[in-house]
Amino acid sequence: MSVIQLQNIYKSYASTPVLKGINLDVSAGQIVGYIGPNGAGKSTTIKILIGMLPDFTGEATVLGMDVKTQSLDIKRRIGYVPENAALYDTLTPLEYLQFIGQLYTLDPVHIERKALELLRLFQLSDYTNARMTTFSKGMRQKVLLISGLLHNPDVIFLDEPLSGLDANAVVLVKEIMRQLANDGKTIFYSSHIMDVVEKISDRIIIINQGQIIADGTFAELQHQRPESLEQLFAQLTGSDGQTGIAEEFVHTLKN
Amino acid sequence: MTSLILWLLDRVKPLFRLLGADYGQLRAIVQVKLTMDNRRSFVSLGRYGKPAAENNSNFTRILLVYTFIGGLISLSILGIPEREKLFFPLTLQFSYVMALCAMTLITDFSSVIMDSSDNQIILPRPVGNRTLWLARIIHITSYLFAIALSLSVGGVLLLAYRFGPIVGLAFLAMSLLSAVLMVFLTNVFYLALMRFISEEKLREVINYFQIVMAVLFYGGYQLLPRLIDSQDVLTQTIAHQWWHFLIPPMWMAGTVDMLIKPVFDTTHLIYGSLALLMPFGGLWFMNRFLTAGFTQKLSHIDSESRPETSTVADQRTQSGKTRWLGLLASWVTTNPLERAAFAFTWRITGRDRKFKLKTYPQLGFGFAYVVAMSFQRNSMGSKGFFYLLALYFAGLYVMVAQYQLGISDNYRAAWVYGSAPIKTPGDVLSGSLKALIVKLLLPFYALLSTYILYRYGLDKISDVLLAFSNSLVMLLCTALLSTRFMPFSVEPDALKQNNTARGLLTSLTLGIIGLSHYGLTILPYGTWIALPFSVALFLVLLQQYKKTDWNRIQMG
Repeated sequence: MSVIQLQNIYKSYASTPVLKGINLDVSAGQIVGYIGPNGAGKSTTIKILIGMLPDFTGEATVLGMDVKTQSLDIKRRIGYVPENAALYDTLTPLEYLQFIGQLYTLDPVHIERKALELLRLFQLSDYTNARMTTFSKGMRQKVLLISGLLHNPDVIFLDEPLSGLDANAVVLVKEIMRQLANDGKTIFYSSHIMDVVEKISDRIIIINQGQIIADGTFAELQHQRPESLEQLFAQLTGSDGQTGIAEEFVHTLKN
Repeated sequence: MTSLILWLLDRVKPLFRLLGADYGQLRAIVQVKLTMDNRRSFVSLGRYGKPAAENNSNFTRILLVYTFIGGLISLSILGIPEREKLFFPLTLQFSYVMALCAMTLITDFSSVIMDSSDNQIILPRPVGNRTLWLARIIHITSYLFAIALSLSVGGVLLLAYRFGPIVGLAFLAMSLLSAVLMVFLTNVFYLALMRFISEEKLREVINYFQIVMAVLFYGGYQLLPRLIDSQDVLTQTIAHQWWHFLIPPMWMAGTVDMLIKPVFDTTHLIYGSLALLMPFGGLWFMNRFLTAGFTQKLSHIDSESRPETSTVADQRTQSGKTRWLGLLASWVTTNPLERAAFAFTWRITGRDRKFKLKTYPQLGFGFAYVVAMSFQRNSMGSKGFFYLLALYFAGLYVMVAQYQLGISDNYRAAWVYGSAPIKTPGDVLSGSLKALIVKLLLPFYALLSTYILYRYGLDKISDVLLAFSNSLVMLLCTALLSTRFMPFSVEPDALKQNNTARGLLTSLTLGIIGLSHYGLTILPYGTWIALPFSVALFLVLLQQYKKTDWNRIQMG
């Protein structure tokens, strides 16, 4: 059964079209890398899938439920970690996670135990009762990741999940993603770091100007042109010849 | 306070279930919001707060002031009149409560009800429209209740003493209902706006609406009591007319009046039922009809920030504006750095909503105050003295804008001042101040002068000019005396309220200058002779300000 299904999705802000006919079908247990240049429509797609933007045209279902009518039920079973997300940083990590847990109507005692354990695994034990105002970007990202996964969701949407993390934490989070997928969870994530997408994704979808321009495993995509994902991406999104632009840039600086 | 509110909420749990909210989520949101308010160095209701370490003691202090003022007002208007004549005084009292609640709501409410910082945190979670909306209403209402309570506590005691505990309790209940009613009225307005106005425009519209409302309220608050000859009205029994049923404070007053007399005629019963029905009916109505799509609208507020490729026409007007601004800047500034600061300040003051919201109402209030005072005869001494007072008084309001110039939500962007090789930061300060003078002061004084010249005659032109120049001198004095910040480099609310002393000093100096100005008007051509001196002083001070070096500047 497909976990995420998008059929003919169109969406515009004011009169600017952002998505122009997205068709997509994702089955359980996959890690999908959703990549594209800035402003291609990545975040919009994700926002539609989690039910935050109901005014689009087309059919969108998550876990077999209609995004437009059952968004609350969907939200209960998905996790979402936006890029550079805000959090209530005057709270401590524990308080924040308690709060998030309550929004999912989880049992407070249960959340506390779980949150403490997860914080420990992310090496934040010493900071469970410190206010997050002083936290570094990486520490915040860890708390955000926990807050998105706390209720053990079946589908996980991640936007630049590795942002700000140190090298060890990157390895850890990548491994967590892998094992979650092995457990049958579906992970839908977008990123600009091509090396990571290349290595971790079961499937790569490239979107440009509101349309999907490539879809397949890395091997399949590579089959067409045997290059790195970075080069493939540049070619497909029409930004080839970066070397030339770089030369021009440096030249302009000199003037 | 947090635990008290949560305790109260737990008592009326079924009500929220009835309204269609998820109580657990609602309680969690309210709890987190209140906890954060306590921890933040300021209460989220902007006006209340500067420092306060661990608690909102500042809010408490405001409440104490309200209690005191409210008590005085109650004593003066509810203490004297006899049993039969209390209707109008009560109306005044409730108007006062409602006006303060409405002011709080208008200036602070939109930031609470339409807080888009929640978007990333709460909207992706399974929280329904009504739950989120109700949580926000409760959050704001808890503050309003505190305000309404502190305002009416004196009245409650007084009425309970004079007419027995039941009247006191009724008065208390009516004060709280006034707060609820105000929540309803403001809310209807905001939700209706959210419904009918495109998302991109919403914030702009609300911003301007807040400014206009703030001016109207301040102005009305000054004007109304002056227009009515209060002594007469207070002591007369009032004949009830049909349009009285349209005035909310009268519902509350009528209800209390009914119990005081006691009398249960049709008029009073109508007042009573309106007072009880409207607030609750209003809440129910909002909950039933206006909350649909609330969270969705909220999520749109953020999407307005999508970059838009400007159209050709846009670009043309934009470049036209830029040329015009550049021309203006080159007239009033002397070097490129100053010019850059001028253009920068000019643009930011025109676009930063917070700046507009904090500054424009003050200016509007200044103007309203002048108009209001000019209608009030015989109390300000001779006519000749009054318009001078008005001119200098208005100067005080302008100082607020100067104070705001250092503050911005975007204060972090001020790192550029540190990284750029700026040798003479004084140029940035003076350029920025000049922009403020040309953009805000000049039009404001022009408006004010037009009014004064129209009302007191064209021969007052020399006074207007001198007062303007003197106000500029005062503005520079304040700028020189206070801690100097680079423009828009300080976190809002980080500035400590150490201005009281300086404010007093400023008013005192302003008074002295104003008085000497009055002295000059007696001498023939006195003002014309003084004018060049004042202008010269202004220029000297400006040079001083321009010479500010890095040691004198405090970086956030």
